[in-house]
Amino acid sequence: MNIAQQIYRIFAGRILASIGFAVLIIVVLAAVFAPLLAPFDPLDIDPISRLQEPSLEHLFGTDQFGRDTYSRAIYGARMAVIIGAGSVAFALLTGGLIGMLSAYFSRLGSFLMRGVDVMMAFPALLLALVLMTLLERSVVNTIIVIGIVYAATTARILFGMTLKLKGGVFIDAAICSGAGHASILFRHILPNLLSPLLVQATFIFAFAQLQAAALDFLGLGLPPEVPSWGNMLAESRIYITRASWLLIFPGMLIIFSVFSMNLVGDALRDTMDPRFKDDIAGV
Amino acid sequence: MALLEVEDLEVSLKSGRDLLKVVDGISFTIEQGETLGIVGESGCGKSLTALATMGLLGGTPIRVTGGRILFEGQDLSLLTPNQRRMIMGNQMAMIFQEPMTSLNPVYRVGDQIIEALQQHETLSQKQARDRAIELLALVRIPDPKNRINSFPHQLSGGMRQRVMIAMALACDPKLLIADEPTTALDVTVQSQILDLIVDLQKQTGMAVILISHDLGVIAETCNKVAVMYRGKVIEAADADDLFAHLRHPYTRGLLDSIPVADKEVEHLNAIKGRVPTLEEAIEGCTFNPRCPNVQQKCLSSYPSVAAFERGHEVRCHFPLEGNE
Amino acid sequence: MLAYTLRRLIAFVPTLLAASALVFLFIHLIPGDPASILLGDTATPEEIAALNQQLGFNEPIYVQYFLWLGNVLQGDFGTSVFFRQPVLSVIADGAETSIWLATMTMCWIVVIGIPIGILSATRQGTWIDQVTSGFAMLFASIPTFWLGLYLILIFAVGLGWFPTSGFPSLSDDGGLWNLRYLLLPSLTLAAPNAALIVRLVRASMLDVQREDHVRTARAKGLSPSRVAIRHVFRNALIAVAAAFGFTFAALVSEAVVTETVFSLPGIGRLVVQSILRRDYPVIQGVILIIVVLYMVINLLVDLSYARLDPRVSLK
Repeated sequence: MNIAQQIYRIFAGRILASIGFAVLIIVVLAAVFAPLLAPFDPLDIDPISRLQEPSLEHLFGTDQFGRDTYSRAIYGARMAVIIGAGSVAFALLTGGLIGMLSAYFSRLGSFLMRGVDVMMAFPALLLALVLMTLLERSVVNTIIVIGIVYAATTARILFGMTLKLKGGVFIDAAICSGAGHASILFRHILPNLLSPLLVQATFIFAFAQLQAAALDFLGLGLPPEVPSWGNMLAESRIYITRASWLLIFPGMLIIFSVFSMNLVGDALRDTMDPRFKDDIAGV
Repeated sequence: MALLEVEDLEVSLKSGRDLLKVVDGISFTIEQGETLGIVGESGCGKSLTALATMGLLGGTPIRVTGGRILFEGQDLSLLTPNQRRMIMGNQMAMIFQEPMTSLNPVYRVGDQIIEALQQHETLSQKQARDRAIELLALVRIPDPKNRINSFPHQLSGGMRQRVMIAMALACDPKLLIADEPTTALDVTVQSQILDLIVDLQKQTGMAVILISHDLGVIAETCNKVAVMYRGKVIEAADADDLFAHLRHPYTRGLLDSIPVADKEVEHLNAIKGRVPTLEEAIEGCTFNPRCPNVQQKCLSSYPSVAAFERGHEVRCHFPLEGNE
Repeated sequence: MLAYTLRRLIAFVPTLLAASALVFLFIHLIPGDPASILLGDTATPEEIAALNQQLGFNEPIYVQYFLWLGNVLQGDFGTSVFFRQPVLSVIADGAETSIWLATMTMCWIVVIGIPIGILSATRQGTWIDQVTSGFAMLFASIPTFWLGLYLILIFAVGLGWFPTSGFPSLSDDGGLWNLRYLLLPSLTLAAPNAALIVRLVRASMLDVQREDHVRTARAKGLSPSRVAIRHVFRNALIAVAAAFGFTFAALVSEAVVTETVFSLPGIGRLVVQSILRRDYPVIQGVILIIVVLYMVINLLVDLSYARLDPRVSLK
């Protein structure tokens, strides 16, 4: 089955999820083509035209420094995709590897999973906050502190799923045919986990947006000059009564993209292998 | 007036925009004190007939789409849901195939029986509890005074099915519907449960509908038999008459597929093929792909009911001569 | 039950040791001399030398850890750089606000989340279900601080029904009436978590609804509402209870944001301010206490789990 057919099977008859999928595609396109789509430089300060209401020239108005909010929102989509994709990659690679190896090599597992337990003893945002106090405010560090939190969750989930698969007959068959550990893990076990991993990825992506926005808001996320939706909200919160557009547009963008991701995640989960349905919590 | 009369009952599964008839115009009657056996392979519609009679199709995409069910002369489809519930578990009760999962795991078995009692009768907690202990004793559960406090997971499958029977009998039903009550149990326990149902029926005089895929079970317990195939009753008769004069090749096949202990058999004569799925349209008699005696006529027209002496009815163009 | 609890408490020890070691190392990961970090920028060289002596910063690091752990076990979490007070009393000052906020939030989650979840599950597939499920997912997608800002804008600034920020102690003038300061914050905090509970109650009830024993319950002639509550919801509660530990963690995280938005003098805001003020002893103390609390909550969840499901034996 090719990818287009897969996508059709997942979204056929699910109107909301289809809309969500479309929104995500738009966000990704905006991120990729941001320099083409943005009419202004997102960092361009223009004190004369500060706090202007939305108009044809400035679709989403301007902020307290006269920067074009629409252009900043477009570049914000780029930040959103970078943070989301980065956190997903970090969480799945580290957490996934720890989970799979721990389940496969039980002695190593009892040690590694203890570490995961310790990580999970810290509430998510708190852990991220504490780590951010040690690190510079930067894009990479934001990705790491968000990714670490979900790496622990992912490790726990993959640990359970790998354990389930490890007992399966087809693994015994692979062992009998002389397959090595690496071959069993990556050629026999991993392919079975791809669809739950995809679902997990969508939820991490959605959570990462909210976490990143919260970190930005607390002044402990991305560097203040980076145009992210969270930073836009954090900077203009004091203008909430005077220039409501400064909070409505970035806020709505966060809500729409997170909501869309959750809808897509739900649709993916509904069409997923029922063996693993209980393992992935989602929203 | 018969206790239960089912007339031309139709039950359909809604799948997309189509309605698939799962039970296709079946009729039977049962009098006070009788035992009716409904037999057929899985997927023939026997369990759905039971659930439709009981009124438990809610929550599924399956609906009664035709015919009438008369209980003591009352058309059940004319009752409001509340009136229907007054009968359910009271005058009409049901036990199920899966004793392991049919009890709620979080409540003590006694409380589950008491709940059934108090739903239909005004009893104090003490009275209800005493009655529940009596019921457990009635279904031959040893040490009922202590067992009443057990949780389902502390009981074996056979014991759980006894609890289910106790619960069904709580309000002295006039009709007990038993849907494959022994299928999930060990062979030794199966006959105990069947004996228990037969004995209880004799004691209380209730009517029983026993549903099974096992003609042997039906032969031991029932006085009337209806054989179902693909949503229709294809042979119906008094039990003695049916086993003396088998008329339908399908019933013959069911009987031949029962292993007999004292006979040396080379191999069991299973009916060839399988029950066709609902989506498969079959021209003529629906049994024709599997029938050993199939003839030209069977491929073109569905047989109507042929009546024989003593109310023996059969849907077959070429009924068997009827001798063992 | 008691034996199980004791065993679990003993099992806490290694995790707690590891977590506390992490929290301890945290100070040492910060570039610079630990004593001057703990004392802040204004400390004199004499003060720094004295603290180095007192906390044994001249000793090997594992000795330092056990010295620190010993102090912590005696309730001495060090001194706040900013407040010049013992850390424990700084935290205690914020506790009242945070405890009331958490309590009110939990009430909202239970009072709003559970009935809507039941409604959604019992009307599965109808427009009621679609609307409630849709809203539940929407509320789980709103950034907490954004919701808080708009609640302030609409109900405090616009309509003037509630105070915009702050929280006077209940022992101040006004007594219990002062809880009105926490109404908007608790609703803000409850929204995403109640949404989570709605979805969880719905999903678990739909799972239970398919089980055979529910058919048995209906066959008794029980009313649909009795079946839904006593048989479906009661059994679904097992899965919901398991999620409450998770809810606590989410609550702590979001409380940090909510208390900041509403300027509440609670522990969450204390964490953020301490981080911005580089008041490391306070950060250490708060985190350690929250980790312990989190573990205790998870233990309570497991205990309630066993009470809810007789098949679970605590062995």
